[in-house]
Amino acid sequence: MAPLRYRLPGELTFLVVLLLASLFLLWTAYGISRFESLTSAGAFPMFATAVMVVCAVLILRDAARAKPTDGVAGESQVGQFVRRLTPPVVVGFTVAIALYMVLLQPLGFLLSSYLFLVASMALLGSRRWGLNLLVSAVVLAAIYVIFQTVFSVVLPSGTVLQGLFKGAAA
Amino acid sequence: MMDAINYFFISWVDPRLLMLTAAGTFAGIYIGAIPGLSVTMAVSILISFTFKWEVNSALALISGIYLGGVYGGSRSAILLNIPGAPSAIATGLDGYPLAKRGEAGTAIGLTTVVSVVGGFIGILALALAAPAVANLALKFAPRDYLMLAIWGILLVGSLSGGSLAKGIFAGALGVLIGSVGLDPMTAEARFTFGSLQLTAGISYVAAMIGFFGVAEVLCQLHELKLKAIKQNVSKILPSWSLLRKYMPLTLRTSTIGVVVGALPGAGGDIAALMAYDHAKRTVKNPSRPFGEGAYEGLVAPESANNAAVGGAYIPMLTLGIPGDAVTAVIIGAMYIHGLKPGPLLMVETPHLFWFIVGSLTLANIFLLVFGLSGIRLFAKIVETPKPILLPVILVLSAVGAYAINNNPVDVYWMLGFGVLGYFLKMYGFQVGPVILGMILGPMMDKSYRQAMISAEGNPVQFAGEFFTSPLSLVILIALVLTIASQSAWWKQLRGRA
Repeated sequence: MAPLRYRLPGELTFLVVLLLASLFLLWTAYGISRFESLTSAGAFPMFATAVMVVCAVLILRDAARAKPTDGVAGESQVGQFVRRLTPPVVVGFTVAIALYMVLLQPLGFLLSSYLFLVASMALLGSRRWGLNLLVSAVVLAAIYVIFQTVFSVVLPSGTVLQGLFKGAAA
Repeated sequence: MMDAINYFFISWVDPRLLMLTAAGTFAGIYIGAIPGLSVTMAVSILISFTFKWEVNSALALISGIYLGGVYGGSRSAILLNIPGAPSAIATGLDGYPLAKRGEAGTAIGLTTVVSVVGGFIGILALALAAPAVANLALKFAPRDYLMLAIWGILLVGSLSGGSLAKGIFAGALGVLIGSVGLDPMTAEARFTFGSLQLTAGISYVAAMIGFFGVAEVLCQLHELKLKAIKQNVSKILPSWSLLRKYMPLTLRTSTIGVVVGALPGAGGDIAALMAYDHAKRTVKNPSRPFGEGAYEGLVAPESANNAAVGGAYIPMLTLGIPGDAVTAVIIGAMYIHGLKPGPLLMVETPHLFWFIVGSLTLANIFLLVFGLSGIRLFAKIVETPKPILLPVILVLSAVGAYAINNNPVDVYWMLGFGVLGYFLKMYGFQVGPVILGMILGPMMDKSYRQAMISAEGNPVQFAGEFFTSPLSLVILIALVLTIASQSAWWKQLRGRA
């Protein structure tokens, strides 16, 4: 008998999405060169995506047979999903990362990273503001010096700030 | 021979390379030890920083980080009962009980020495076996490479636990990501969806940092409140009699480490668990029962995981097939530096091979020095709270993804793969096979098409060649056994026996 496995909230939905995505990719792979020849550009991608489809079906079958995890009494499926997989801290941190990436080019590496570090440290529960501000500054200074000098990495200097400086100079 | 010796000592006599190897080993110990930072993550991020360097410097630094990182995980497993790296999972089983008994110092000292011994055995195996394997590999046909690559992905998927179907899915997903862009043989667009950006393919460094950096950080957010318990550390140097007593076991488990490490796809974590299991089965009278602070439970996994480093380099350098996730990333680094790991690497650039062996040996010596010192500083650093550590890792990841092409789009890819990797991990998929698939995918595609062309496009002839060549047949049997051993039918059969 197969070992008893529990199914996490949202697992079935995630696996259905994976299966649909795999089917779409198989279709796209088929579109590359159809069944032109066994050595065509699309042959191996078709093989890979077909393997994905077969595996996704098998994984979905196993998950459908598994017992759902016990939730807190009265908790909905969505509630369980949020608690187990997307708690506020994960969603908040992901949003902070996305914002950081959007701001990286306009604000430049130093300013956007500093804002990200201070904000996300607070978000993750570090309430010692003085320490957060200091650690962020020290870490960033170290990263900047090491990567600019030792690794010769060119970091974004910030289009908005450059514009401001240029405007002030003019 | 003289040439080999000269190449071997390059990193020993060049002050810059010597310093980089030392810095790499030192950093590796701390990276490996800090829970939340993994060696794979560190090497993925480092590749993007070192790609402008000349190749020797990059390889010296990476060798140090790899060797130091595999060892470093043991320290936090012993002191905090949190393995710093997957290869130290088995170490905590007896290491932490030892620390609770007030023997943390002896445990760390013993671990350091056996790790170094294991490391040397792994390097020796690399130096002796790799030239022979490379000679053999020259006889490999494209179909053999195809099967070896598939076998590697299957092993990562099946040996690290969990469902084989999930492992294969992850590997195939990696192959797919690796095939995005223009087909190298016919220049036809594959999975580009009309986007010009995608014709150049997806940067695998961005994907690696996403899967190993961002996804890991997101998973760690679930354990923000995990508190470490501090231990007193004294008397680091282990006694000679203690070392002598455990030397036979160290030699045995190091051999296990080398062999497991050399299997395509199986790395230090699996080697350590297998060695621990070996010690448990063969040692009749352990110093204490296993799980309650047996020295044997420390010696076995720690010697094996460091021996696996040398072992993992064998298929990487001779076949171009990674031994584990870290070597998959290192292969990525070698490609970036214009090198093509495989049998010809040994023929065309033997200096590089001996340079790597020399750097690993040097890193192993530094491991002994750094491993037996600086424990107090260490205890402070590994206790860095996660709310401070995780944002810093994220900034480093973003810089790494950006630096490779100075392209902000790569940073978005990193985040996308990070979120995908997070859900995959949460639902029990492993991300190691994805990276292996990405690295090996183009090679598999090329090998498959070459093999099919040599069979004149005839599928029957193509299949027949797997049985007519003895070498292909051996690899095919290994492949089939790996799949069969995961089936319910096989498990039922074993259950009855």
